[in-house]
Amino acid sequence: MPIYLYIDRGSIVHRLNPTVKVFALFIMFWSVYWVDHPLALLPLGLVMVALAQLTGSWPNFYRLRWLFILLIFFTTLAWMVFYRKGPALINTRIIHLSRASLVFGFGRGLKLAELLATSVLFLSTTKVEEFTAGLQRLGVPYRIGFAITLSFRLVPLFIDSALTVVQAQSLRGYDFNRGGPLERVKRYVPVVIPVFMGALRKANNMAMALEARGFGVSATPTSYIDYPIRARDRVAFAALIGLGTVYFLIYYSGYGGISVK
Amino acid sequence: MKPLESEWAASPAAALEDVSFTYAGGDREALHEVRFELRPGEMVGIMGASGAGKSTLAKCLNRIVPRFEDGSFRGIVRVGGRALDGERVCDVASMVGMVFQDFEAQLFSTDVAHEVAFAMEQIGMPRDEIAARIGPALAAVGLAGFDDRDPTSLSGGEKQRLAIASVLALKPGIVVLDEPTSDLDPEGKAEVFALIHRMRGPDLSLIVIEHEAEELRNCDYIVLLREGEIIAHGPPAEIMVQLELLEDCGVHPPDVNRVMDALGMHAHAKSVEEAEKIIRAHFPRTAATTLVSVEPASPPPRTPDPRTNGERAEAFLHVENLSFAYPYGPRVLDDVTLEIAAGEFVAIIGQNGSGKTTLAKHLVGLLAPSAGKILIDGHDRATLRPAQTAHEVGYVFQNPDHQIFAATVADEVAFGPRNFGLDDAEIARRSEEVLRAVNLTGERNRDPFLLSKGERQRLAVASVLALRPRMLILDEPTTGLDYREQRRMMALVGDLNRAGIAIVMITHTPWLVAEYARRVVLMRKGRVLFDGGVREFFERDELLANSSFRPPEATMLGRRFGFTALGPEELADWIKARA
Repeated sequence: MPIYLYIDRGSIVHRLNPTVKVFALFIMFWSVYWVDHPLALLPLGLVMVALAQLTGSWPNFYRLRWLFILLIFFTTLAWMVFYRKGPALINTRIIHLSRASLVFGFGRGLKLAELLATSVLFLSTTKVEEFTAGLQRLGVPYRIGFAITLSFRLVPLFIDSALTVVQAQSLRGYDFNRGGPLERVKRYVPVVIPVFMGALRKANNMAMALEARGFGVSATPTSYIDYPIRARDRVAFAALIGLGTVYFLIYYSGYGGISVK
Repeated sequence: MKPLESEWAASPAAALEDVSFTYAGGDREALHEVRFELRPGEMVGIMGASGAGKSTLAKCLNRIVPRFEDGSFRGIVRVGGRALDGERVCDVASMVGMVFQDFEAQLFSTDVAHEVAFAMEQIGMPRDEIAARIGPALAAVGLAGFDDRDPTSLSGGEKQRLAIASVLALKPGIVVLDEPTSDLDPEGKAEVFALIHRMRGPDLSLIVIEHEAEELRNCDYIVLLREGEIIAHGPPAEIMVQLELLEDCGVHPPDVNRVMDALGMHAHAKSVEEAEKIIRAHFPRTAATTLVSVEPASPPPRTPDPRTNGERAEAFLHVENLSFAYPYGPRVLDDVTLEIAAGEFVAIIGQNGSGKTTLAKHLVGLLAPSAGKILIDGHDRATLRPAQTAHEVGYVFQNPDHQIFAATVADEVAFGPRNFGLDDAEIARRSEEVLRAVNLTGERNRDPFLLSKGERQRLAVASVLALRPRMLILDEPTTGLDYREQRRMMALVGDLNRAGIAIVMITHTPWLVAEYARRVVLMRKGRVLFDGGVREFFERDELLANSSFRPPEATMLGRRFGFTALGPEELADWIKARA
């Protein structure tokens, strides 16, 4: 399984300046943040579908399809429990199904899915090194930017090691699925300890290798690839400012929320 | 300890002057008053047991000791004549490059070109200069044209060569390679050592840490460490003949030296060819009878193998037409058919990615076949959960740290039996039994994380043995162990086998196959390419060449005399009998 989501397609989005891409990530999050109603979220969703098509990112969405489906489904379901407004179609002690709770829950699910989709699009079109460069350009110190990007590399390594540990312990007759919820959490101790110890060792090795390669000599290392700002970057930047402003105005003028009659 | 006298050129590439170091929390010195000089263009091999101070010595040269590793440091380290007092690790990076054993932990980038650029970017090299150096660095390690590849998609040998390229790009005067091949398959190992020998030149000094002496035969100089002190040093011809000392220091002496020693000759050979000449000169009668039969036309004289005891017993495990592919992935196993009888000792060999571990995981039920079936003692594997057969087939993972978690050695061993609900008396009885078997009785109350790697590996075996399996699968049981620990581990495995437990060992180490296994299963691209006796396997030259599996040197040497030897002593006895 490939560790990174990056798909080398060379689309116009791929070729955007990393700073613009990091800014786009921020603007998409910003726009999603201000609105709750599914209809207000819909245009952003359409933009993302168009971008997925343009950038050839569908394989990543396919890989994560269950996450998207479960995210929307369970969020909708969860808000039927907690969002107890509007005239109920079904009202039990647990479930409160109303038009409002359905719209609100679905909106929340869509919101989370769009945040995830934005991240998937970003990672499908941006190399880790570009991410670091983009953050650096936006004023994030190199070390912090590098740490963020390095964590992307570590997560799959840890998942891999966790899977191996689960296999090793299950072969010693260990049953992870016994007992109540609290008991089950406790039953993961034989996994957590080896993974944690392994992670410490790995992190130590990595830190050593990093320093041995000169990490830390300069607070502002050079970058072997130049990322010039081109015309397309200016256009994208202007469009993003426009998008962010529109969504803020939608919120500011009282639209995009959910009204309970 | 003998100090290295300054008979050498006036300005060494690097020098350690009376360096001592104790790790924080350590109860003894990791290095004790070490004096050491490295001449420009020289290749020095450092050998010694685990914990002898090899890595610590090397890490002094690029300031990882004492800047990264806490502890108390005494002495002076000079690189290019300059004392390194107060320098940070990163300050020394462009003078001393270091390549580590753990290749996963030293690659940080998403493509090969960025990886090579990384260190140059860190030291603030101008962009044009970086771009100009990437190509030559990749060409030097044989990775030209790999620029856009994802480093995680490379083979182990390629990853390690990439790590070397990224160090070479800085054009350091010294490159230190700390056990660079311990995690590689034979092909990757050969690639890396071929590269190391190509790298030698007047402007680059090399330090190679290794515990297979064979690989360091062509160094200019050898330093042997024991418990933090330099116990011997000199040219390979002087060091390699001191077999007892080498073994005592946890180093695997070269097979050819062991053969000559067993023949009563105090000689050194740089290669199998040279050893053959020397032996033939000493034993002319052997030479006279078989001189022409380097590739014997008639089958070589087969002495009965004392380790095969006639017919095979009833099969305990049946694998029938097993195929496997990950969803949307290529086939990892392709129509594998195999039987393993109770009490057998089988080595599964093959390059990384040939399907060895995938096959083993099927045997214990961690993976389910895409096609075909597996029978354990007549029962269909598919109907049984992995835990249900843990007392039939045990699996020891390559890295013991993937399973160790308990607070004491005794608790770790008791974990399995407890999961099966055995009573305390039975658990105590089994714990005692297996700790004795792996020679850890005295460590019963210790924290497993404080044991040595070799002890942790034996503990992992013990904790699987506590379920009393009839068959034990060991995935690379000797990786990362020094020679002494390897021998101890294999003695344990041999004892278990003699006690009736069938052993299936996945390994890359040729001498383990020759000296311990009775049957070889060679895999390539998911298929079984060979399944038969060990001696028979080593007689199949074309098969060996195709599978890039290099027999141990004793076997190669024996083949030149017309005898497929499985160990140095066996070969020496055979030659003596004909002298």
